[in-house]
Amino acid sequence: MNVERGKINVTQLFFCVTGFVEGSVLLVNFAVDMTKSQTWMAVLASIAVAIPVIYSYVALATRFPGLNVIQINDIVYGPILGKLISLYYIFFFALTFSFNNRDIGELYKIFIMPDAPMIFFLAAFAVTCAYAVHKGLEPLARVSHIIVAISFTVMLLIFLLLIDIMDFSNFLPLFDVPLISFIHSVHVITAIPFCESIAFLMIFGSLDKTEKAAKYVIWGLISGGFILLNVAVRNTAVLGNTETIWTSTSFESTRLIDIGTVLTRMDLWVGVIQTILIFFKASLLLYALATSVAQILGLKSYLPILLPLTAIEVILSATVYQSPVDHAMTTQNAGIFYSTPLLYFTPAITLLIAVIRKLPKSKRRKRS
Amino acid sequence: MIYVLTIYTLVAIINLPPLIKNGQKRELFAFIAFFIVAFVLSLLYAMDIEIPSPMEGLKYLIEDFMGLKYPEPK
Amino acid sequence: MKNTAVKIATILLMITLLFGCLDGRELSELEIVIGIGIDSADDPDSIKLTAQVVNVSQLGLSGSGGDPDSKPYWNAATTGTTIFEAIRQITHKTGNRLFVPHCEVVIYSKDVAKQGLYKHLDFFLRAIEMRLTSFILIAEGKAGEVLDAKPQTEELPAVNIYNLVKSYGFTSHLYDVTLKEFSSRLISEATAPVAPLIKVVQEGENKDVQVMGLAVFKEDKMIDELNMDETRGLLWVINEVKSGVLIVPTPEESGVAVFEIETAKGKVKPEITDDGKIIMHIDIKLQANLSEQTTAEKLARPEIFEKLQDNMSEVVVQEIMSAYEKSSKTGSDIFGFGDMIHKKYNKKWHEQLEEDWEEIYKTIEFDIKVDSKITKTNLLKNPVTQKLGG
Repeated sequence: MNVERGKINVTQLFFCVTGFVEGSVLLVNFAVDMTKSQTWMAVLASIAVAIPVIYSYVALATRFPGLNVIQINDIVYGPILGKLISLYYIFFFALTFSFNNRDIGELYKIFIMPDAPMIFFLAAFAVTCAYAVHKGLEPLARVSHIIVAISFTVMLLIFLLLIDIMDFSNFLPLFDVPLISFIHSVHVITAIPFCESIAFLMIFGSLDKTEKAAKYVIWGLISGGFILLNVAVRNTAVLGNTETIWTSTSFESTRLIDIGTVLTRMDLWVGVIQTILIFFKASLLLYALATSVAQILGLKSYLPILLPLTAIEVILSATVYQSPVDHAMTTQNAGIFYSTPLLYFTPAITLLIAVIRKLPKSKRRKRS
Repeated sequence: MIYVLTIYTLVAIINLPPLIKNGQKRELFAFIAFFIVAFVLSLLYAMDIEIPSPMEGLKYLIEDFMGLKYPEPK
Repeated sequence: MKNTAVKIATILLMITLLFGCLDGRELSELEIVIGIGIDSADDPDSIKLTAQVVNVSQLGLSGSGGDPDSKPYWNAATTGTTIFEAIRQITHKTGNRLFVPHCEVVIYSKDVAKQGLYKHLDFFLRAIEMRLTSFILIAEGKAGEVLDAKPQTEELPAVNIYNLVKSYGFTSHLYDVTLKEFSSRLISEATAPVAPLIKVVQEGENKDVQVMGLAVFKEDKMIDELNMDETRGLLWVINEVKSGVLIVPTPEESGVAVFEIETAKGKVKPEITDDGKIIMHIDIKLQANLSEQTTAEKLARPEIFEKLQDNMSEVVVQEIMSAYEKSSKTGSDIFGFGDMIHKKYNKKWHEQLEEDWEEIYKTIEFDIKVDSKITKTNLLKNPVTQKLGG
């Protein structure tokens, strides 16, 4: 019993994944604390680590075409254990949406409009995402093309504008960072941009053809990762050893663009792009949350519960952290550990059990 | 605070009648349940009463109880 | 009933969007700051802050139509224990908060610089409104006076100072140090921060400002100064010489030949030999043209050019070595050699060199190669002299 009626094709899936991964482009800042000038290496390593993990998500979805993860859990684990595991997914979606909402709220509060109360941003942003989700998955998927095109162009432009301030010797010395910090950084980058795409497990059910999905998803991952790499390289090359002191490295490095004294204050662009990208990512997360709650309660549509869920999310975003510093510190530690079992292991284990139990049974029937 | 009350009344007015009319019992129950939770939380927030955040619990669980923590970066 | 509810909801939503206007500051409310000066106040813990605010109504009027005494700027001065406190205190004198995004120069007086700049730097880096591309300067005497010296060709002193620093390339006797450059050098443990020096020169009735030379810091305290030649020595090595004047003795030593630097490139390669000696291989490529000569010698001949080029290289080497010698007296690594070695010899840096870098800096040996080329002699082939045909 499917909660969503629309269908999306694999190209749209590619753009959706790219846009989703790009949504955390300011997140590279969290990793800079640990790996400083080697953040670009951490990004590359994270892409490598994330590829098999994401592949397990897609493999699970291709095994059960047309179904979303809540339904899959019910089939594989049975009704009671399946619901418990689905609750873990739902808990993750809810918290992750609130983190992302808070991300954008803090961005506005610190940089753009310091005097306005944060709840205003949290509410406005969440309601906009709710509106997007209300319209359904198909419009979001159609918009993903434009979002990715715009963000790629702006990111490359900013990179080109900063080329004459870049000092590539800032990348030396290589391998200066202790291994544990490197692993920490890889953990953060893998968990947040890449593996939060576990939300796509709710979206794979709406694909029209699930067989070729894996290729498109992995390419989406790589192109999103390319933008993250772009940001990491740019920030290290421009800021050098001052990287670790700023609240937001992307803002500071964009601020240094000063061409002909006309093109200055370009950090506005970073704000705009980040808003658009996080909006896209948060909408997909909210969609995942709404559909999963609707699915687990057996509702025919997620529309009625959308607004109350959004309201709960707003209050959650407002109270989940005390301050941006709290947010940064927690994200680097507890924030990624609570989701580690879910993101890395649960879909793979689900897949394994499905293979062992030879599910879904309809496949067997088709053959016989 | 008045703001909270107005918004919630409006949302209820817009969303409830179609649900009742179509007789979607499950949706109705789910809506009312989440609505009440959201309403209570919003009221508490508007009245500046502190709402405990789940992250506090998770932080305690993971860092103090299970000891899973990375060393501080230099 | 549902429709009215929807309409009210939409209106409420639109009213919510007005929250964004809370931050709005009208143009007439802005006190546009273009330069800030920090001096030490009478109280040892306080500083005196001078903010140069543009007086928009007087801009463009001074000298021509308006009252010759009125200035298009206003130096608002306050005292406070910290910078942010002082800046806010200015609202005791104006009615509006200062609008800092156009601040182009930050000038610290020498006393403040000698006591340490950490406490006075944090605000400028942390404030959202400040620009990282503003220049930092150290003033001989009071920074407030420097900001008050009304320039002849420019209306606003701070803009004048900004232009002065920006055009450092014409002589390469100073260096444009932005807030970002300064912080980068400050954060690096090996490299010593530098900042250009500015002073007020009284010529008759006019007070002019002159920017020359660099101040050298140890961590955040100013300890030394570099004069013009030493500064250019530094700039040769870090590849920041754009143009300038080189005075070179002629082969027959009867006068000097004056060259204008056209292009200059500097490359440094650190090397640590097996017995632990540090050698810096510096490679300078220089192109200059003959702009003036004070002798009657005929210099426009290939073999004379050779000798002139050698003399020119000699001059460059002298400038570099003078910079090194001055800085090694205090053990300040102004060139950034420490960071270069760190980048190339990571392990050795951490194990042996990092701790005593100040001492080890004094033992560096140099291998300087200057490749000078004289490209042209402008319009004169031979000097104006009575010795024709000789």
